Amino acid sequence: MTGAIGRVAIGLALALSCYGVIAAVVGGLVRRGAEAWRASARGAACAVFLLYAVATFAMVYALVTHDFSVKYVAQVGSRSTPLFFTVISLWGALEGSILFWGFVLALYTAVVATGGRGQARGDLQRTYATATLLAVTAFFSLLLAGPADPFLPVSPVPLDGPGPNPLLQNHPLMAVHPPLLYLGYVGFSVPFAFAVGALLAGRDDEGWIRESRRWTIVAWGFLSAAIVAGMWWSYEVLGWGGYWAWDPVENASFMPWLTATAFLHSSMVEERRPGMLRPWNLSLVVATFLLTILGTFLTRSGIILSVHAFAQGPIGKYFLGFIAFALIFSLALLAARSDRLGRGRSRLDSAFSREAVFLINNLLLTAFTFTVLLGTLYPLVAEAVRGVKVSVGAPFFNRMTVPLCVAILFLAGVGPALPWRAGQLAETGRRLRLPAAAFLVTAIGSIVLAGTRDPYAVLAFGFGAFALVANVAEFWTGTRARRRASGEAWPIALVGLIRANRHRYGGYLAHIGVVSIAVGIAASSTFRQEIEATVRPGEAVELGAFSVRFDRIWGREEPQRFVVGANLSVFKDGRPAGQLDPRLNFYRSSEQALTTPAVQSRATGDLYVNLLAFERDGSSATLHVIIEPLVPWIWIGGGIIALGALIAAWPESRRRRLIREAAQRPARPAVPAGGAEGERAAAPVAAGGVEP
Amino acid sequence: MSRRLLATALALLLLQVPAPAAGGASQEQQGAPADSALEAAVRAVASQIRCVVCQGLSIEDSPTDLAREMRQLVRDQLAAGKTPEEVKEYFVARYGEWILLDPPARGFNLTVHVLPILGLVAGAVVVGVLIRRWTRAPAEEGGADAGETLP
Repeated sequence: MTGAIGRVAIGLALALSCYGVIAAVVGGLVRRGAEAWRASARGAACAVFLLYAVATFAMVYALVTHDFSVKYVAQVGSRSTPLFFTVISLWGALEGSILFWGFVLALYTAVVATGGRGQARGDLQRTYATATLLAVTAFFSLLLAGPADPFLPVSPVPLDGPGPNPLLQNHPLMAVHPPLLYLGYVGFSVPFAFAVGALLAGRDDEGWIRESRRWTIVAWGFLSAAIVAGMWWSYEVLGWGGYWAWDPVENASFMPWLTATAFLHSSMVEERRPGMLRPWNLSLVVATFLLTILGTFLTRSGIILSVHAFAQGPIGKYFLGFIAFALIFSLALLAARSDRLGRGRSRLDSAFSREAVFLINNLLLTAFTFTVLLGTLYPLVAEAVRGVKVSVGAPFFNRMTVPLCVAILFLAGVGPALPWRAGQLAETGRRLRLPAAAFLVTAIGSIVLAGTRDPYAVLAFGFGAFALVANVAEFWTGTRARRRASGEAWPIALVGLIRANRHRYGGYLAHIGVVSIAVGIAASSTFRQEIEATVRPGEAVELGAFSVRFDRIWGREEPQRFVVGANLSVFKDGRPAGQLDPRLNFYRSSEQALTTPAVQSRATGDLYVNLLAFERDGSSATLHVIIEPLVPWIWIGGGIIALGALIAAWPESRRRRLIREAAQRPARPAVPAGGAEGERAAAPVAAGGVEP
Repeated sequence: MSRRLLATALALLLLQVPAPAAGGASQEQQGAPADSALEAAVRAVASQIRCVVCQGLSIEDSPTDLAREMRQLVRDQLAAGKTPEEVKEYFVARYGEWILLDPPARGFNLTVHVLPILGLVAGAVVVGVLIRRWTRAPAEEGGADAGETLP
């Protein structure tokens, strides 16, 4: 019954999303009755979302009630799995994750279709954007109706199932990482849709960039948080004391992040100088979307082995076809509109300006993406060309990308200190004096005091301090100026400053988060100390300032697994510093024991202990003890980035919007004649007016 | 305590879990500060070699038993006087080129090593040319030709 409801909902969603595409396109083309067609497309988008909500709820219900007549439940369900992990196994395997993807996409589609204030509500760009999103939804509905049908009936109905992949039920972060990832990944469909919408509508003003940029910030914020949550999961579950392995699917999530980051910067140039870089910005948005689909293809087709690869199946061909279609469609559209795209004034007042730094930033981020893409796909290419299996892993990626990371850190400090248009050497030098001092102190300190020998690590710490000080200084000088003008207290002035220009300060906050992550990664890979030892009860493993005493082994039966743990007492500099209990989990459905490392976090770093093996009579345990300097700052950095994105993406209050629009009106005399459809005068955000 | 241990043992028997090896090869790095040069060499080689049962982790990073044995193999060979290159060749001879996480830079593999650098250089040239052109553009309405904005 539940299965039937789900299948009907998906079938209707497929039909309605196809109808919605047609209605929107007709509503965009016809002269008479256009509004009725467009309204109908909006209605279809809302209905599709409701149908996806029904289907998703039906699946959760089937999982919770252990309805093994539903194929997906028979695959991932088990009566012994705790409720929490049963619910989140919705995204634990192929079909469920596609269903969840469709749900998130339908949500975004409904929000876009019904969004926009006043005349922007049903304008041509938004109508075509809705059509684009509905077309992508139709593709996912097609997958769910055919090759990835999660509601397929099973006969005979099994009494119990194997349960979700043990890796996915070993840590609560599995409830966080995938939904964030989908919100981010799927979210990039929206800027893509607005780009396609603008191209189809033939708009040659910069209105598209406002919507694309806002939605990119939303998706980018989710994706940033998702990537960091995934790193944390890897650290807490896989037991190797690391968080990033350049696994193909990690790369797949990272590539759209890189191109979206590039767009967030280059789009500011277009906002300020209408038309400039537009073909490039459109290409970045299209590339970001295609990279998300490519990433899904890599994960879901089983073409590349990885922790994330679910299963081999026919679904790969569908994705390949979809990527090819979307690529050709986008390129054809860009080519068809190329006559309108180059009209902007491409001019720089000076090579010594923020615009120029953004161009270099884009160069580095694009080169970064290209390197990761090449490294990820090379094993496939090599096998096709040479017939030999090769691996491309961490040593390659680190060697290739660490120099780029260091250069990007440097730019994250230079950019905020340089003004738009043209910088003065003396003025910029004055603003960079303090960051440069921070660079010198940190770089020399890391060599002399900490004994860093790797030049890239020295540069990472140095430029990290440089960028941190440069970005914090922006908050400091802004707050100070505001305080002088208004006499507000510090915290009120700070909040007022951020509220007055959320994009800018959200961005600086994101920079600070990136610095935090970069420094955490550099420190933990440079100064990591580890030891592996077998100890008897009462004996201790010594590492650095820590002494970890093995007390005893214990075991516990749980419904879905058997847990063996070691009780450890930690001493730091000879004084008691808490208890740890690393565990090994033996799942019925898995031969390999899964680890649950025990982690003790401090601001200076983590003490990470993994139980590798034990004697069954409890006479000994083999422990892997790692000191991981500054690792918690990676997770904190992820939180800071998410906060920055939240501040930047937070909807503007009505009052502020009216004030801003009133302020902009005289600056932009008239809406260009080409932009019919009653576009808003979406001017570049108060050009110049925000600079101190 | 003893009941728990019994439960552990029973569970392990029931689950047919192979008893994890304790002792034996597990005294890695203990009491061997004198060999820190050897250990550094082991780390350097081990981080280049792929753990055959993991997803893209090196045997240096992997916590599995097999990776530990492979690491020991690396250590033994280096201690016996083999060069890092010879140790890598030993693994390639057994597992194929796939075992190396950084594909050797020769033949067709050069593409993956050289293309990113070529791409960066080409991009830098393009950006340099664009910045030059755009800073020289006349103050009013510079981009009449579409090609100008296409990086």
